[in-house]
Amino acid sequence: MPGTNSVIHEEQEKLLEEAIQVVRSESFLMKRWLDQSKLMDALKHASNMLCELRTSMLTPKNYYVLYMQVSNELQHLELHLMDEFDKKTLPNDLYELVQYAGNIIPRLYLLVTVGVVFIKCQFSSRKSVLKDLVEMCRGVQHPLRGLFLRNYLLQCTRNQLPDVEEDASCGTDGDVQDSIDFILLNFSEMNKLWVRMQHQGHTRDKERREKERQELCLLVGTNLVRLSQLDGIDVKKYKENVLSNVLEQIIKCNDPISQEYLMECIIQVFPDEFHLQTLHSLLKACQNLQSAVNVKNIIAALADRLATFAQRDDGPGIPDEIKLFEVFSEEVSNVLKSRSSTMQKEDMITLQASLLSLALKCYPDRVDYVDKVCNHTVDLLNNLHLDKHSIQNGTPLCNELTRMLKIPIDIYSNILTVVELKSYPELLSRLSYEPRKEMAVYIATQIVDVATEIPSPEETEFVFELLDPLIKDQPDQPSEAEDPEEFAEEQGLMGRLVNVLHSDTPDQQFRILNTARKHLGNGGDKRISYTLPPIIFSAYNLVYSYNAIKDEDEKWDKKCDKIFAFCLQTISAFVKAEMFEMSLRLYLQGALAADRQDGYDGRENIAYEYISQAFAIYEDEISDYKAQISAITLIIGTFEQMSCFGEENHEPLRTQCALVASKLLKKPAQCRGVYTSAQLFWSGKTKDAEEESRDGKRVSECLKKSLRIANQCMDKSVQVQLFTEVLDRYLYFYEKGNEHITESTLQQLIDKINEEIASLDMSEDNEQIKKHLENSLDHIELKQQDEESPMYQDLKLRSE
Amino acid sequence: MVMAASHGHPEMQYIAISENVDPTLSFFRFGQSADLEIELDNADDRPLTEVKTEEGKIEKLALFYDGENIKGNLKINLKNPGKKLEHQGIKIEFIGQIELYYDRGNHHEFISLVKELAHPGELTQNTSLNFEFVNVEKPFETYSGNNVRLRYFLRASISRRISDISKELDIGVNTLSQYPDINNSIKMEVGIEDCLHIEFEYNKSKYHLNDVIVGKIYFLLVRIKIKYMELAIIKREQTGTGANVYHENETVAKFEIMDGAPVRGESIPIRLFLANYELTPTLKDVNKKFSVRYYLNLVLIDEEDRRYFKQQEIILWRKARGAKDQSASLKKV
Repeated sequence: MPGTNSVIHEEQEKLLEEAIQVVRSESFLMKRWLDQSKLMDALKHASNMLCELRTSMLTPKNYYVLYMQVSNELQHLELHLMDEFDKKTLPNDLYELVQYAGNIIPRLYLLVTVGVVFIKCQFSSRKSVLKDLVEMCRGVQHPLRGLFLRNYLLQCTRNQLPDVEEDASCGTDGDVQDSIDFILLNFSEMNKLWVRMQHQGHTRDKERREKERQELCLLVGTNLVRLSQLDGIDVKKYKENVLSNVLEQIIKCNDPISQEYLMECIIQVFPDEFHLQTLHSLLKACQNLQSAVNVKNIIAALADRLATFAQRDDGPGIPDEIKLFEVFSEEVSNVLKSRSSTMQKEDMITLQASLLSLALKCYPDRVDYVDKVCNHTVDLLNNLHLDKHSIQNGTPLCNELTRMLKIPIDIYSNILTVVELKSYPELLSRLSYEPRKEMAVYIATQIVDVATEIPSPEETEFVFELLDPLIKDQPDQPSEAEDPEEFAEEQGLMGRLVNVLHSDTPDQQFRILNTARKHLGNGGDKRISYTLPPIIFSAYNLVYSYNAIKDEDEKWDKKCDKIFAFCLQTISAFVKAEMFEMSLRLYLQGALAADRQDGYDGRENIAYEYISQAFAIYEDEISDYKAQISAITLIIGTFEQMSCFGEENHEPLRTQCALVASKLLKKPAQCRGVYTSAQLFWSGKTKDAEEESRDGKRVSECLKKSLRIANQCMDKSVQVQLFTEVLDRYLYFYEKGNEHITESTLQQLIDKINEEIASLDMSEDNEQIKKHLENSLDHIELKQQDEESPMYQDLKLRSE
Repeated sequence: MVMAASHGHPEMQYIAISENVDPTLSFFRFGQSADLEIELDNADDRPLTEVKTEEGKIEKLALFYDGENIKGNLKINLKNPGKKLEHQGIKIEFIGQIELYYDRGNHHEFISLVKELAHPGELTQNTSLNFEFVNVEKPFETYSGNNVRLRYFLRASISRRISDISKELDIGVNTLSQYPDINNSIKMEVGIEDCLHIEFEYNKSKYHLNDVIVGKIYFLLVRIKIKYMELAIIKREQTGTGANVYHENETVAKFEIMDGAPVRGESIPIRLFLANYELTPTLKDVNKKFSVRYYLNLVLIDEEDRRYFKQQEIILWRKARGAKDQSASLKKV
């Protein structure tokens, strides 16, 4: 009903405007009489002005505006009265005179104003004036008007409350206990009025009323602020005379809004040192609050404050005699017990989370405390019959538990500390698949980011237990496929995680790898392509480590055998999973790793085994011609890098390469395979030879053969492309000094290319080919012009 | 009775004029005439008291107490110096009387004292004659109400054959009382069944005119929506006797003591300063003619403007000046 609202709004504006108008004109008259020192006349207008505060028509917000205006004007009156007092013209019986006013609202505002002047001028006993004022205010029982009147009292007496020890006071002036009594009485009266607002008017306005009450909470809270500003209140007084009374009032009022606000207020306004000494009472009080009160916010606020206090650099920390954790832990469990039927499950978890955070921050060394909280939480969930995987994604309970589980991960940047929390995995397991996986990702990310090394198989086991949803399929996993990008990211994370599984002791490292292999091997085909390669690489690295300590570990040879066996077996998982290219690459990498181990007995055998496995994969499993060409290129490249083979092994492998290359199905592939294999005859090395083999004749034969194959290509542009590529090879070997290659051969090839290229159509592909050729020819030109060692002097590069 | 209070009769005027010279005489101007003036001793130092006249004007009168001497002199100023004034005697009277407005013809004198100031003879010059009434009994307080007034006055007169010359002067009288020996508080539990139950307490039953009523209202049961609560002081003037008793009620004070609706268990303080209001002591059966009594009326008004009230009589008395009683006011540092 926006229409009604705006009508109400307009009406309110008008009422407020009118009231303020009266306040202005009456206060103007008041000031005029004050200027003429006609006090009684001035008071009459002050009273008229104050009558505006008798209204029942304004909303709390607008009443507040009016109140502010009036209290500003009263300040003027107060200053004037102070002035009059200095001039000794203030009537002695002024305190009585203002009480002649027939209406209670103006009477009490004036009484407070005059009373405070009397206090400030030390004209009357501070103690008795304060007592009188706070008592007389009882006359206003209307919640809104009463709250503001008492707020005025509180504002006016702001700096006038006695704050000295009992012994130090001079009788009538009062001491800190009088201030306490004064504020406590005002507090309880204000709270009663505030609570009463809730029960007035129609039930249909409940929501609006609650909103209005929230707007007024500060008025009540100011009492507690005043108490906290009294220096004379020490811990003992606070405990005995202040807190117990405040808590009694809070509990007695039975109002959730009040209870919640005031409890939080206590926690916020009083110092941490006080809270430490009154933990029991504060937490006990929480048990007695209305069930609608959100106790967890209160306890969490307290826990947070104390945790921050404990962590403060300049602070004294938590005194030893205060068993903060024990007390908290006990009281929280009492609260949970007493509210087991009414409290939301997620709120229970929030409480546990606060406790956890408190333990972590106040007692960073006491992992057992944190574990205890986890353990309690498990019990709590058991009581709620929340078993394994039962906490569904997106529920508040799930969100809270997840938040709680993340706390130790965040605070213990070292995952190894989390490992000490024996109940943690159990707690984690209560989450259903989605959040459990989310937690796993969170933990894994943290581990990878912090890069804490995990140095033992046992710890690896533990961490992997936490990360289980990333490691293998879960029984409660939804059947539909996951988002492939997300999956790749998660598994990539796991791959990175393998890198932090590290011990400086090779034996230990090998055990770790075995453990990791065991777990990750269960991940299924789609996971192992991310997770096992890092293990294999890590294993290959381990071989280097053993080699580095071969003088200390006489069994290193045997251990390397084992590692290579481990890797072979691991790679076979990829073969089984039909990830042939991956297997091929890993075999080749293994061959290289073996090749690099000088002094390792199994070097040649292992390398041969790996290479031959690669060939086997190639021949049996790789059928796509593009894959074939890239595979054979890899094999040739790897083989060319190796030097562990004797001639009897090298020769067949070498020949095999050339053979395989020449047997590629498509002509262009064949051509490329053959010219690539030419490299083996030039830079291949056996273990016995000092030098590369430099078999120029075989090289030349290979290149010729590749030209021949290129010639057979039907597609002209492919043919020219291949010619150009072969030309590059020729140039390479020619420049390396292969005597079987002559400039006339080059010239023939160049002419041929020039001839063919001229006949090509204009197309993007062909442009590329031309560019390629241009680059090659440019290279030759550069060499021709080289001043120190000119080459290709007789070559004619471009047709006329 | 309300009529009598608001409509003036010609006679009322006559009575009200305290300084009256017979108007018929001024036409003749035969012989000598004189102005009379009654002058009280130490008139400037005497305290004054305010008395409302019938028209509502405030008159300031010299204040006397019971048993006090009334002393002064009568000044006779001849209007035609040189001529002689023959008279049958000069006297001064002190009269205390009660005037009931509905019975104009009869004034009830309860005191009438006469002093002869001069035997019959003649005056040839302005003269001043001293007079003194010793230890004059003044049993009642001057009072000016709605239907009745009680006044004291001096009347000087020169008796002559044709018409007397006379002159009146009103004085005020306050009757003072001592602190009462017994002054119990008023405490009472009242209510309407299942609706409203309160207990109220006024600290005394007898208050002097500058006193302060201190008390509290304790709410035992509240089932009505109270808007506010006030304390009123009601003056009840009773005149006449027997069948001709007239009552006149007047609310002389209205004092809001609570704003809004209390709940069970609230205790509301009362502090009402009487000095703020025009009050007289409680007058009981004055010379069997009239009484003035005071009542405290506690009124609760609910949101439908229904009024719930309880009246309690309080006794008001006049405290002698200077007697201190500061029990209710604040102690000064």
